[in-house]
Amino acid sequence: MPYLGGKEAVKELRRALSNPNIQADPLRYRNTVLRVIRMMSQGADVSSLFSEMVKACATVDVVQKKLVYIFLCSYATLNPELSLLVVNTLRKDCQDPNPMVRSLALRSMTNLRLPSLVEYVEQPLTAGLRDRAACVRRVAVLGWAKLSNLQPAADLDAAVVNELYSLLRDPDPVVVVNCLRALEEILKEEGGVVINKPITHHLLKRLKDCDVWGQCEVLRVLQRYRPQSDDELFDILSLLDPSLVSPHPPVMAATLSLFLSLCSDLPAVSLAALERVRGPLLSACGSSSREMRFAALCHVQLLLRSVPGLLGEHYKRFFCGYAEPAFIKQRKMQVLVELVNDDNVGMLLDELKGYCTDVSMDTAQTAIAAIGHIGRSYSDRSLEILTGLLTLKQEHITSAVVQTMRDLVWVCPQCSDTVCSALEGCEETLQDDQGRQALLWLLGVYGERLTSAPYTLEVFIDGVRSEASLGVKMELLTAAVRLFLTRPAEMQDMLGRLLHFCIEEERDMCVRDQALLYYRLLHCGIEETRKVLQGRRSDPSLGVLIGRQAEPISQWASSFNTMDALKKAAVETETASRGSPEHVATKLKADLDLPKTLDCCPDDALDNLYTNPVLHTAVFIIHLLSLSRAARSNLMNTPF
Amino acid sequence: MIHSLFLINHTGDIFLEKHWKSVISRSVCDYFFEAKEKAEDPENVPPVLYTPHHYLVSIYRGKLFFLSVIQTEVSPLFVIEFLHRVADIFQDYFGECSEAVIKDNVVIVYALLEEMLDNGFPLATESNVLKEMIRPPTILRSVVNTLTGGSNVGDTLPAGQLSNIPWRRAGVKYTNNEAYFDVIEEIDAIVDKSGTTVFAEIQGVIEACVRLTGMPDLTLSFMNPRLLDDVSFHPCVRFKRWESERVLSFIPPDGNFRLMSYHVSSQNLVAIPVYVKQNISFLETGACGRLDITIGPKQTMGKMVEGLKVTIHMPKMVLSVNLTATQGTHTYDLTAKVLVWDVGKLNPQKLPNLRGSLSMQSGAPKPEDNPSINMDLKIQQLAISGLKVSRLDMHGEKYKPFKGVKYLTKAGKFQVRT
Repeated sequence: MPYLGGKEAVKELRRALSNPNIQADPLRYRNTVLRVIRMMSQGADVSSLFSEMVKACATVDVVQKKLVYIFLCSYATLNPELSLLVVNTLRKDCQDPNPMVRSLALRSMTNLRLPSLVEYVEQPLTAGLRDRAACVRRVAVLGWAKLSNLQPAADLDAAVVNELYSLLRDPDPVVVVNCLRALEEILKEEGGVVINKPITHHLLKRLKDCDVWGQCEVLRVLQRYRPQSDDELFDILSLLDPSLVSPHPPVMAATLSLFLSLCSDLPAVSLAALERVRGPLLSACGSSSREMRFAALCHVQLLLRSVPGLLGEHYKRFFCGYAEPAFIKQRKMQVLVELVNDDNVGMLLDELKGYCTDVSMDTAQTAIAAIGHIGRSYSDRSLEILTGLLTLKQEHITSAVVQTMRDLVWVCPQCSDTVCSALEGCEETLQDDQGRQALLWLLGVYGERLTSAPYTLEVFIDGVRSEASLGVKMELLTAAVRLFLTRPAEMQDMLGRLLHFCIEEERDMCVRDQALLYYRLLHCGIEETRKVLQGRRSDPSLGVLIGRQAEPISQWASSFNTMDALKKAAVETETASRGSPEHVATKLKADLDLPKTLDCCPDDALDNLYTNPVLHTAVFIIHLLSLSRAARSNLMNTPF
Repeated sequence: MIHSLFLINHTGDIFLEKHWKSVISRSVCDYFFEAKEKAEDPENVPPVLYTPHHYLVSIYRGKLFFLSVIQTEVSPLFVIEFLHRVADIFQDYFGECSEAVIKDNVVIVYALLEEMLDNGFPLATESNVLKEMIRPPTILRSVVNTLTGGSNVGDTLPAGQLSNIPWRRAGVKYTNNEAYFDVIEEIDAIVDKSGTTVFAEIQGVIEACVRLTGMPDLTLSFMNPRLLDDVSFHPCVRFKRWESERVLSFIPPDGNFRLMSYHVSSQNLVAIPVYVKQNISFLETGACGRLDITIGPKQTMGKMVEGLKVTIHMPKMVLSVNLTATQGTHTYDLTAKVLVWDVGKLNPQKLPNLRGSLSMQSGAPKPEDNPSINMDLKIQQLAISGLKVSRLDMHGEKYKPFKGVKYLTKAGKFQVRT
C-alpha cells in the first residue's frame, strides 16, 4: 500500500521523538510513539526511526514500553547493530518486580530473533524458567523454542532440555502445554518429545485443566504413545471418553484421532468411537461458520468410507441451502451420494435434481455427477432425471450429462439402451471438449444401435481441420475405427478421409502416431483390429451394484484431522468427475508400470481396470499387448 | 503453528499483516488472490489452499478475509476455530468486525494479536483476560485518555489469568445485581412448492448478560430439557451435571457471553410459523411473467409475527417488476435482480398479498427454474421449539439478584421453493 507523504511524516516524527520537551512530557512522548506504530501498521517504512525508538524504550511507562517493543520486534532484523543497544534495557526489565514487565521483556527479547543476541538472551531465559510467576515461565519456555530456531546447529544445553522436561510437571497448565510445544520444536531432529508412560498419564490427568488449544496439543502429542497392556489402553480410553463428545470440534477431532491411533488393532472399539462422535460431528456440520462446516463435511466423508451406514437417517442434514457457497454444496452432494438407500432414494434424487440447475456451473456439474453415481444402484430413476435434463438444452448441463452417462454405461451396461435413445440430437448443444469426447466415446462403442451415429461422426470428421482440442481428435479417431468395425459400409469412406488427414496433414505427433497405429492395425486384418478395439466389456447380465465395500479404518486414520483430509477428497473429486480418459490412463501407466503388472497377474489387473470407466486407453493397450508377438512387433517396431 | 496472519478486504487489499515467527512475504497471498479471482463471489473462496511451501487457511467474516499462513501440518479445525476466535474478539472489542473499525483501532488490534499468539501458539484467547490487559475503546475512555494521558493498554497483570476460573475476573462489584438470559431460536427450513416441509431445524442460543458481584454460582433449569438434541456450552458450564440432571450449573463470566447453543432437529417438533401461497410463472411466449404471493399464519402459538420480509433473487432476464402490495413496501434492485418485500406485521384477519407482472428481456429463453423465496420474520416472547426456563438459583453469594428471561424466534435460512 503506498503511503502518500510518508517521508515528510517520518521526518516530523523523528524531530518530535528527539525533542527534549516532548521527552520530558510522558503523555506527549507516548502519543508520538503511538503515531509511529500507527504509521508502521499502515505499511509505511519507519525503520529509520529505530535509534530514536530505542531511546524511547528506556521509560518507566509500561504502556510505552509495550508499544516500543512492538516496533523493535518488527524492525530488529534490519538493524542488528542498533538492536544491541536495546538488550541492556530489556535485561534490566527482566529483573523488574512486576511480573507483567518481566514477561513482556522476555518475550520481546526472544522475538528480536537476532542470532548475534543469543548469548545475551540465554541467561535471562534460564532465570525465567524458574520465575515464580506463571506468566513469565510461559514465555520463557517458548523462548527456548525460538532460540533453537535461531541456532540451527541445535547445540542447546542438555541441561535446558532436562529443565523443560521437569517443567512438564508445572502447576500452571499453559506452562505444561508450552513446554510440550517447545520440546517438540527443539527436539524436532530426534522425533519430538519423548512420550513415556509417566508423562502420558501425567498429561492425561492435566488434560481437563487446559484450554481448548492446549487440549488439542496434548492429544496430538499423545498419538505417539503405545500403551503396554490392554488394561492400560482401556484406562486411557475411558479417560478420553468425555472429550470425544466435546462441543469444540477441534478437541473432538483430536480425541478421535488419538482414539483411532490407540485402537488400530481393535476395529470394534474404533467403530464404537465413530458412533460416539456422530452427534458432535453432525452439529459441526451445522455450525454457523462456513469454514467449519466445510472441514466437518470433509471429515464426515472420511468416516463414511468405513461406516457407510453411519449417517443414513440424517441425510436431510446434508441438503443444500440456497445461499451456501459452492464448495460446501459440492461436498454435501458427495456425502448425499454415500447416504442413499431404498427409502430415501426418491427424496434424494428430487433434491439433487433441484441442484442441477444451480447458477454455479461447477455445482450443477457435481450434482449431475452425483445423480450418475446414484444411477449405479438405481439406474431407472436416475436415467429418467438425466434424460429430462437434456431437454433443457443448456450447454454445460448437456455436457455434464453426457459425461455422466458415459461413466454410467461403463459400469452398468444394462442402461445402454436408455442412454442410446437419449443421445439423439444432443451434439448440437455440446460445445466443450470434455462433453464432446464423452459423446464420441459413446458413438464409437454403441454405434450399431444409434442409427444416426455415422452422420454425427461425419460432422466431426468434416470439421477436424479446424478442431483445436487434442483430446477430441484422439477420441474421434478411436470412435471412427470402432464404428467402422460395426458399420463398415457407411464408415469406410469417412475413415479413409480421416486417417489420410491425420497422417498427412496433422501437426500433432500424438494424433499422427495414433492414426498410423490404427492404419497398420487395419493392415494386420479386421479380426486383429476387432480384438484390440472391441475387447471385453462388462457383462450386461450383471445386476446393479449395491453399495461399496467398507474400507478398513486404518486406510484413512492417519489423515484424519490433518490438512490432508481436506485435500485428498478434493483431488478425488477432481479426477472422478473431470478426468479425461487419456489423462487418467497415462497417470495409471506411470503408477502401475503396467506391463510388469500384466506379467505377474494379468487377470487381476484386468479386473481392476474394468471397474473404472475412464481407463479405456489402458484397456486398449492391454489388448494390444495380448496380440500375438509377431503382430505386435509388426506394429510397434516399424519406425512411425 | 500459525505463522502469519493477513487481513484482506473483499476487494483484495492486504491492510494488516502480523508475523509470529519470521516475516513471510506478501507474495504468498498471490495464491489466494488467484483462487479468489476464480471463485468470483468472495463467499465461494475455498477455505483451505495448498501452495508448494505453505497451507493457507482463511475465513470470511464481515466482508474480510482472515488469512493464516501455516508451514507445518496442523489440524484444520483448530486453525479455523482459532481464526473465528480472533474475529469474535474483534467483534467483542469494537462492536463490529469490519475493515474501517480495524483500521481505526489498529494499535489495539496489534496489541491483541500479540497477546493472543506467541511463537504461533495460542496464548490468551479469553475475552475476559484480554480485556484486563488491553481495555476495549469506549467514547468516554478515549476522551479521558486524551485528557489524562491514559491508554487502552492495562499495566497490571490480569488476576483472572492466574485464578482457577480463567473466564471470570476476581473482585467484581456492582450496585445493581442482575442476570438476563435471552433464548433466541432461528428456524432453518426448506419448504417445497406444495407447502410440505423438506427440511426443518431449529438453531438456538442462550445469550446471557450477567452482572453479579463476587463469585456467584448459578443453576439454570428448564421445563423440558429433553427437547434439545445437541448442545454446546460455554466452558464455564459443568458438563457432568448436565449429563446427569439436565441442569446448567456454572460460575458465569462477567458481562455478555453465549451460555449455550443447541439444535432441535427432529422434524415433528419444528413448527413452521407461516405458510406461503405463491404462484410465480414465466410465460412461454412474450416477455412477461406473473407473480402472486400470499402469506398467512400457520403455527404461531397465538403470538404476533413481526418483521416479515420476503427476498427473492430473480433470474437474470427479469428486467423490471410491476407489482402491488396490499401491505408494506416492495423494492426491486435492478442490478442485483433482488426483489425485497418488507411486509411488517402479519395481520391474520387481512393476509398480506403481493401480485403483479414481471417484464423480461425480450427474446431471452424462459428461465428453467423458478426463483426461491427467502423469508425473514420475528416472533417476540416465543421460543418456537417450546423450550422454557423454569428457574434460576444462585449460591455462593448473599444478595438477591434481579433475574429475567426473554424469548425470541427468528427465521434463519428459511426458504420456500417455487
